[in-house]
Amino acid sequence: MKIDWEHIDIRELAAIVSEKLNENGIDAVLVGGACVSIYTKNKYLSSDLDFVTHAAIREVAAAMSGLGFKRETSRHFIRKDCQFFIEFVAPPAAIGDEPIKNFTKLKTKSGKVVMFTPTDTVKDRLAAYYYWKDPQALEQALMVARDQKVNISVIKRWSAKEGHKEKCKAFLDRLSL
Amino acid sequence: MLEALFGNSTIEKILFTLLVYGEGYALGIAKTFNAPVNRIQQQLRRLENGGIVASRLIGKVRIYSLNPRYPFLKELQAFLTKAYEFIPEKEKEAYYRKRTRPRRAGKPL
Repeated sequence: MKIDWEHIDIRELAAIVSEKLNENGIDAVLVGGACVSIYTKNKYLSSDLDFVTHAAIREVAAAMSGLGFKRETSRHFIRKDCQFFIEFVAPPAAIGDEPIKNFTKLKTKSGKVVMFTPTDTVKDRLAAYYYWKDPQALEQALMVARDQKVNISVIKRWSAKEGHKEKCKAFLDRLSL
Repeated sequence: MLEALFGNSTIEKILFTLLVYGEGYALGIAKTFNAPVNRIQQQLRRLENGGIVASRLIGKVRIYSLNPRYPFLKELQAFLTKAYEFIPEKEKEAYYRKRTRPRRAGKPL
């Protein structure tokens, strides 16, 4: 299959990378802004794809070279003709101090992607809003919560545990507008 | 003190600095410990790649702090806090009790 790297969609790229890693015996989970892009059908378009893997970075680099991606810095990979870059973030897959064990398995025409669920994507973005006061992260959390079915009681409980009840209320107030 | 655990003494100095002051930057840490700045930068990068510290750019300076999203943050802070108690007073005085309150611009020292 010929890949149009210049115009590739983030969802298909996530699947192509996931399948290549899988072929090489590497499990990886898509997290971060790319999940927001996929769940909002690119209302927000991330420029990078973050994967969490427990595999050694040299094994990842070997697999990624099979797709023509070169290691740019210690954990970033780029391909000249592709607008997205790929980052492998340090494990574990966690939000706050909670390990994440249940994932969405998204099927695309290019293969499967294991990724954060919509609820965990909202929590992940809210974590950035809670800890770094990042207003973009709040907007992204809202976009996902509006476009996808999310478990509000899980989000409320987790926010309270993280000590951010007030900021969670601000998020919920915006969500109900 | 924790060199055997962290693999080198620079990591220990960086982590104690971030624990005590809340944040720090490579040149400042290097000056405090009279260490080469590239050694501090290299270890800060290593910690950042591991998700243990996070950084943000303010002007031209990259400021580092313990990553609030690190899943083992509470445990790491508890461990470092305990270990900090064992640092000799002389060392604490020299490295971890620098003035952090504001100093008005233009005020003579």
